[in-house]
Amino acid sequence: MNNHILSLLSVMALAGSAAAEVAYEFVPNFITPPPGKETLGNSHGEIAVDAAGNIYVSIQDKDAGIQVYGKDGKFIKTLPLPPSLHGFVIRKDEGGEFLFAAVLGEQKVIKCNLDGSVMMTIPTSEFPADKVGKGLKLTNCDVAPNGDIYVVDGYGQSHIFVFGRDGKFKSVFGGPGEPLKLANAHKIFIDRRFEPARVMICDRGHKRMLHTALDGTFIGEIATEMRNPSSASFHGDLMCVAEIAGNVSVWDKDNKRVADLGTSPQPTNTPKIEPKDWQQGVVTSPHGITFDNDGNILETEWNQWGRVLRWNRK
Amino acid sequence: MTNSRMRNDECRGVLAFVILISVFVILAQSDACGHGAEFLSAKLTLLPDAEVRLEITADYGGNPLIADEITAREALVDPVRLRQGDKLVPLAELATASLFEHQNWADYAPAAYLPTDTDGTAHTLVTAAWRWRCEEPEIVFEMPKGKLHDVLLWTHDAANPAEPPKWMLLLAGDRSRPIPIQQTPWWRNWMAAALGVLLLGAYFVSRNFTLRQRTL
Repeated sequence: MNNHILSLLSVMALAGSAAAEVAYEFVPNFITPPPGKETLGNSHGEIAVDAAGNIYVSIQDKDAGIQVYGKDGKFIKTLPLPPSLHGFVIRKDEGGEFLFAAVLGEQKVIKCNLDGSVMMTIPTSEFPADKVGKGLKLTNCDVAPNGDIYVVDGYGQSHIFVFGRDGKFKSVFGGPGEPLKLANAHKIFIDRRFEPARVMICDRGHKRMLHTALDGTFIGEIATEMRNPSSASFHGDLMCVAEIAGNVSVWDKDNKRVADLGTSPQPTNTPKIEPKDWQQGVVTSPHGITFDNDGNILETEWNQWGRVLRWNRK
Repeated sequence: MTNSRMRNDECRGVLAFVILISVFVILAQSDACGHGAEFLSAKLTLLPDAEVRLEITADYGGNPLIADEITAREALVDPVRLRQGDKLVPLAELATASLFEHQNWADYAPAAYLPTDTDGTAHTLVTAAWRWRCEEPEIVFEMPKGKLHDVLLWTHDAANPAEPPKWMLLLAGDRSRPIPIQQTPWWRNWMAAALGVLLLGAYFVSRNFTLRQRTL
């Protein structure tokens, strides 16, 4: 009997360690740029995947908006959206699947359906005047399970604003002061791996990631001494992170780093690494990141020519 | 006829005003998009006779970590340290810093790192400069842990200005690779030049002497 229990425990332990093994392989030249272009275009944004598996990449070029690619990386179309979509997510909400985006150059947040029609705008005037300062520099947003929209002023004062599903202001937390003392909180995400969900903050200036409760109460640091965390995505119990100074990392739910991908030999943080200097599988300045629906990783870079890398889960 | 001309002038005026406003809006938007320099740019100039000049620049127009001039000046107080054996020496112990304000990024960051989104707009920069003579054949910089501002360290060789600059981004806790110092004393170049002049003179004298002998 005891032997049976021991065997069962051994099998469970082996299965557990197998599940904990996280490995990826790089997929070269995954994305096919739009017809007539050699590269995607000036990129300083985000990448996301919808429920059908299509891939959305924001591009800064004039008339670019968001480029949509199929699962196979082939270009499908461009959504006519503003060129400064620095951060965006695709989330299911009441009535379907929507794209929520921070429009950096226009100090506003938009909610669109997946063909690019704007359904709702949160304008600058909806933000509390005493937190606007010299002007908002909104860098990302995400949606909580109850439909609240969280927006971060990442290139501004790092305040995190909460709006209702209807776009009406509810509350604000974060910023440079106590207790969170954020500096260049580049992007925030709602971490639904936990119940209740948490806010995950890429506190890039301090090279750390941290969790707060949805009301802004500090929970704890996830990691410190990173290569400037800029963006993140979740799949199952895993979180992948784009570190702009040259790394992609994967973390488990216990805040343990389980993989590093594409690490640049020396730190970098510039959009001017030319295509001739790109190396297969080595990142330059990761700026946006997402898991696809199968747990593969797609990363977009801060790069004048536009670059997307992909790693498949083994 | 006169009315029509006046109407045309008015239209042109309105058009010019609209264009002016459009240009202003575009510029304002490009500034708002400013993903500027999120680092301090440290330009290291290697001078003869083991001297070095280190100029570290902070941008309080484009760096989201530097809100104003006061913060920029604070960031330049102790931005990076020199590794000497087991010690980390603050720059203030090597030389007194001179500070100046300007708007010229081009001379204070390598081309690969010049801010792009704010091109065409004025920058608000503060540079602190230190100059000292090195005692070691090479120098190593180090970023103490916990530093908020990354430092982009790049070298400018005064003896070979056409040489493309080498750069490295230092994050908190990072150490630079060793940078060899130009140990050539300043007087050696002058001596070489003087020797050249002497040799040239000797050549002409001997040539004249030979020519005179042939003439005779």
